[in-house]
Amino acid sequence: MPPLKELPTRPSPAGRSKLNRRQALSLLATGMAGGLAACSKPDEQILPYARMPERIVPGEPLKFATTLALAGIGRGVIVTSIDGRPIKVEGNPRHPGSLGATDVFAEAAVLSLYDPDRSRTILHDGAIAPRGGLYRALVTELSEARSSQGKGLRLLTGRSTSPTLLRQIDELLEAFPTASWHAYDPTDDENARQGAQLAYGQPVRGIADFAKARVIVALDADPLGHGPDQMRIGRGYATGRGDANAFSRLYCLESALTITGAKADERLALRPEAIERFAAILAREFGATTGATDLPERERLLLQKITVDLNSHKGEALVVAGPAMSREVHALVHWINAKLNAPIRLIDPVDRTPSGKQAGSLEQLAGDLDAGRVRQLVMIGVNPAYDAPADLHFKARAEKAPFRLHMGEYADETADIATWHVPQSHRLETWSDLRASDGTASIAQPLIKPLYESFSEHELLAWLTGAEDARAYELVRQTWRSAAAADFEAWWQRVLHEGIIAASGSTAVSLTAPLLPPLSVAEPHDKPDDEISLVLRPDPCLWDGSYANNAWLQECPKPLSKQVWGNALALHPDEATRLGLTSGDVATVGANGRSIEVPVLTDPGTAMGVGALTLGGGRQKAGAIGNGVGASAYTIRTSDSSWRLSQIAIKQTGRREPILTTQNVVRTPEDVRELYPQYRVGQSLPPSAAITDPPSLMPPAVKSGDGHAWAMVIDTSVCIGCNACVLSCQAENNIPVVGPEQVAMGRDMHWMRIDAYDHGAPDSPQLGFQPVPCMHCEHAPCEPVCPVAASVHDSEGLNAQVYNRCIGTRFCEANCPYKVRRFNFFGYADGEEYGNLGAESYRGQKNPEVTVRARGVMEKCTYCVQRISGARRTAERENRPLGPDEVRTACQNACPTRAISFGDLNQADAEINRRKSDARHYALLGHLGTRPRTTYLSDVRNPARSDSERRI
Amino acid sequence: MSEVLAAEHPAAHRWIASERADDLAMTQAVADPLFTGFGRRWWVALLITLPFVLWLFGAIGWLFYRGIGIWGINSTIVWGVAIANYVWWIGIGNAGTLISAMLLLTRQKWRASINRFAEAMTLFAVAIAGLMPIIHLGRPIYAYWLAPYPNTMALWPQWRSALVWDFWAIISYLLFSLLFWYVSLIPDLATMRDRTPHRAGQLLYGAFALGWRGSAREWSRLQTLHTTMAALGVPLVCSVHSIVGLDFAASLMPGWQESIFPPYFVVGAMYSGFAMVVVLAAAIRWGLSLQAIITHRHFDVMARILLMASIVMFYSYATEWFMGWYGGEHAEREAVRFEFTGTYAPLYWALLACNCLIPQLLWWPFARRSLFILLPVAIAINIGMWLERILIVWNTLSHGYMPSLWRNFHFTFWDWTFLIAPLGLFAFLFLIFMRLIPSVSMFDMRELAHEEAAA
Repeated sequence: MPPLKELPTRPSPAGRSKLNRRQALSLLATGMAGGLAACSKPDEQILPYARMPERIVPGEPLKFATTLALAGIGRGVIVTSIDGRPIKVEGNPRHPGSLGATDVFAEAAVLSLYDPDRSRTILHDGAIAPRGGLYRALVTELSEARSSQGKGLRLLTGRSTSPTLLRQIDELLEAFPTASWHAYDPTDDENARQGAQLAYGQPVRGIADFAKARVIVALDADPLGHGPDQMRIGRGYATGRGDANAFSRLYCLESALTITGAKADERLALRPEAIERFAAILAREFGATTGATDLPERERLLLQKITVDLNSHKGEALVVAGPAMSREVHALVHWINAKLNAPIRLIDPVDRTPSGKQAGSLEQLAGDLDAGRVRQLVMIGVNPAYDAPADLHFKARAEKAPFRLHMGEYADETADIATWHVPQSHRLETWSDLRASDGTASIAQPLIKPLYESFSEHELLAWLTGAEDARAYELVRQTWRSAAAADFEAWWQRVLHEGIIAASGSTAVSLTAPLLPPLSVAEPHDKPDDEISLVLRPDPCLWDGSYANNAWLQECPKPLSKQVWGNALALHPDEATRLGLTSGDVATVGANGRSIEVPVLTDPGTAMGVGALTLGGGRQKAGAIGNGVGASAYTIRTSDSSWRLSQIAIKQTGRREPILTTQNVVRTPEDVRELYPQYRVGQSLPPSAAITDPPSLMPPAVKSGDGHAWAMVIDTSVCIGCNACVLSCQAENNIPVVGPEQVAMGRDMHWMRIDAYDHGAPDSPQLGFQPVPCMHCEHAPCEPVCPVAASVHDSEGLNAQVYNRCIGTRFCEANCPYKVRRFNFFGYADGEEYGNLGAESYRGQKNPEVTVRARGVMEKCTYCVQRISGARRTAERENRPLGPDEVRTACQNACPTRAISFGDLNQADAEINRRKSDARHYALLGHLGTRPRTTYLSDVRNPARSDSERRI
Repeated sequence: MSEVLAAEHPAAHRWIASERADDLAMTQAVADPLFTGFGRRWWVALLITLPFVLWLFGAIGWLFYRGIGIWGINSTIVWGVAIANYVWWIGIGNAGTLISAMLLLTRQKWRASINRFAEAMTLFAVAIAGLMPIIHLGRPIYAYWLAPYPNTMALWPQWRSALVWDFWAIISYLLFSLLFWYVSLIPDLATMRDRTPHRAGQLLYGAFALGWRGSAREWSRLQTLHTTMAALGVPLVCSVHSIVGLDFAASLMPGWQESIFPPYFVVGAMYSGFAMVVVLAAAIRWGLSLQAIITHRHFDVMARILLMASIVMFYSYATEWFMGWYGGEHAEREAVRFEFTGTYAPLYWALLACNCLIPQLLWWPFARRSLFILLPVAIAINIGMWLERILIVWNTLSHGYMPSLWRNFHFTFWDWTFLIAPLGLFAFLFLIFMRLIPSVSMFDMRELAHEEAAA
């Protein structure tokens, strides 16, 4: 890792004066004299609050609703702030994009906020510059632009749904009529937009209601995977998996394993071309005329099942296509969905300006740049120098614009090529507004004053239109002033409090029936075996690479491979063998004359003839954490095929680079059977394999009926392994990051892990997820072995770890059958942090209610004892008993599918007791007699049966 | 150095390889080198071991400074070389007291020539073993929390933990071994006091000899005390290693929770301890030219014990495998399968070779009496027993109940350090011991010589 980056390393061209020895010495003397003169502390008065600011009670958390963005889409959150420091992100139940849950990116936002690598000052040609200098430069440039009506002015933003920003863009384009606005998001699904255009003649967006869908067919799509809508779709999916009589069925055809494929009831791995052909033939079943011919046996059988299911569930059936599918397939899917009367609401795109302007593409901008038509290039919140498709040569072409202004949270690769860089405030530092994918708007309010001298993108746009004094707060309020009712202030207060602007969602557009696109279905030409398509995916942890400097996300195990600190090319084991590669071999992946080197990871869920790679690796200027981690797929990506590259060449390099993982995916059938029971819907379950008490001479460890009895039940059937709980736990409990070297040593600190079990046949993996926090066993094996009583049971059934008492024998972890305890081998959080994680600013994130554990101490899940205690205090203050489901643990709160429930066994009406009476209830390794308080509901799948035994 | 007693081959008597070994000759053979010095050989040996001692203490300093993360232990395999070393050294430490106490009680007179240095070996080994659990701690500074002392936290140790039992077992064993050794040393210290030409020696030996005059009453008291202590010692020897076995057996993990562990650990300890005695006896015999006192027959007897123990060890292993299969528990069977085929399988096969196969050579009397065969066998046993201890730790922890967290141990430089450097410390302490204290019990040998009619 490169050393901590504190200041820009390029010398200022202006300040590069050559000092001679005499001058240097005199400066030194002056400096010393100045230092001596200034070394006494200035007088200052410290006074306690004469009057306590309203609501601020030291140490008491405050919660504020705000909005975070992923790929420009807003997701409402509620942020906990203690003494003015935002420390934890929770979901906002009112917000349609969150529904009370979070995802890894929302959880990790608080860490990014305190990232010391964030850009802190305005830079001019890489050197620190005063704000006045920027203003002067802007005035010059803008007056030039004004004279030409903005002919040479180009604005490049990410995908933006912010009504204020869009309004400002409109204003900018009014002021500079010949200027143009471009938007680029590396995770954009261009094919979906064009597919809608083909089908409906306009680029509508489909908002599918997964809760209503009883049959879902995913064509190389990953709706349950990470993305702006994961929480909404996850919740919908879970809703459809609750009632055994109306249990949804998820079909998935995909080129490489995704979360959706893992949770699918029927899954088939096919190369993308074959999936497209399959889609065409599926359309034929609904009356389309396609020239497609027969399918291979397995696909034909699946097609039969899908057709029957779709036809029998009109109005409750849904087909979704992924970004790697061609626009024709997307159009086709629209057409099928219309036939099925699928529960999809079509809305206008949410990223248009109020006057209806749509952003131009990055390709157009690159063309303009190349042609020398751009004089002023303003880039806000984007990093095209890193993530633009390689064939655009953005970096080289951008240099042709003389004035290049970049605004971003980091002085990243694009800041490196910009003439001016302006630090952008973090979402938690500034006012803004955002729309959810269904158009619902919400305000993003700051939780903290900007830590550094940074600015809002609204302020920058205001500068461009000549309003130098505009503040983001006023700009956002201005946008909504007209929308509000008569009493704006009251409306504003309510909107801020609720975290959502009611009835601001897009209404469904009424459209005529979609057109069937012209289908040019490729014949099943038998491609030579050695032809491999590369499928690109957003990374489940780093997304498009913009989160690369977030250590939590770098060390978050990817859901399906459990890889951390890097990405890898997924190949089917047979494919890898054919290419002479094994897991950990570094391969050269070449396409269109460009190539990258990336380690190979064999995954039986990948289709033959397919390699899968995630975006987000290989950052050069991400910061101390993210630099040089993984390989950058953007290096071989092209603008015409963003998500799928055909005819790639994979070659051995002879080098090896071990894949860093924190745990194994369990594939041995006996282990899976024992640890991850799984049933089919309607199958009669064996008598509850829950907790049985073997005869014992031991007295009962915990007397129930004595106060509370905390317990947790996790429903593995709806767990999608998204890691939100893992990150939520990390944020809540001050869990440190250990770094790649330590992971390679087999060490990690996560209190909660998600075990992945493959319960499919050897040739068709089917993954299930099992989150594993501490089991809080009633007969905890860790307790009797601790020589100093650091591992003890409390009266409410918590298995508590007394950090101060722990001397680090590690006998508890040695004796823990579940291996849920984590040992601080080094001072991971206490003096020996990885990279720059010990930097002062990171301390702001620490939860003051949870101890930061020292070196040499064992630690583990506490069932968020601080939350239990907090809820108890509240209840006592209000002089009432604690409600049945009042305590919510961090992991439970984060879960988008509500797989985790927590509560008091002694309260009959607690949700947890309902779940415990479920026939699927089981205890992990229950036969050991540990009597775990954390128990599970087994996984249920709903595979299609042959016609004879069809139930639904 | 002069050979007072020249060894004869074949041995003239059962346990003494010299036709005449009167009291003076016997005493001179043992004590004189201590007054004249051992010459260059001793110094060279001391200089070779010294760097290891410095290396060990440097490493302990580094360990305390950096934390136990410098070892290859990880989140799953939380124990490693320190625990294996601990068990191994305790095992070595078992044999000395066992030889003295058990053989004293069973009137095996031949013990006279080996019990002194075997007991010294015990002391040093137990001291090193006692070091291991402390440095193995995440926070060694608080190791004293294992002791029940009055404190402001009003907390006592947690008595159900095998580690607390261990703490008492080691402490009591160490104290006992020290006392037992000292008691049997008193007459010899008096001999040294009387014979040493140096004033300092007279003072020092004199102080520790506690005014021993050799009266009949004193001899009677000494013998009573010694025998009584021996009777106390035998159960202690068994308890100390049983409790080490309980560290594992009182757990829940597959491959550990076996009721055979306590006796099997005791036998294992005796096994490795005797193997170490053989190695040391060979070294002392050569170094001090005691061929007349430590005879081939001694080696023959010890080899028989080794052979016997190797069979018991094999039986224990076989019981482990059988019960793993017979118990029917998936995890237990998996643990046995992993032993034979898993990551550490080569080491496991090496263990079986060292502990079970190679010692079968000792069925041949020739092999028992030839140091060229017996010594490598004894070393192999010591290696095999270390492998056994590390594999007990590794196999179970690497391959527990949760397959998702199956991991491998990564040996680091510091693991090697804590494996090798204590051997240097042990040798260093032993060299010092040889230089200052008679390595063979002179009064026991004189008695033996009379009984053998060699005097």
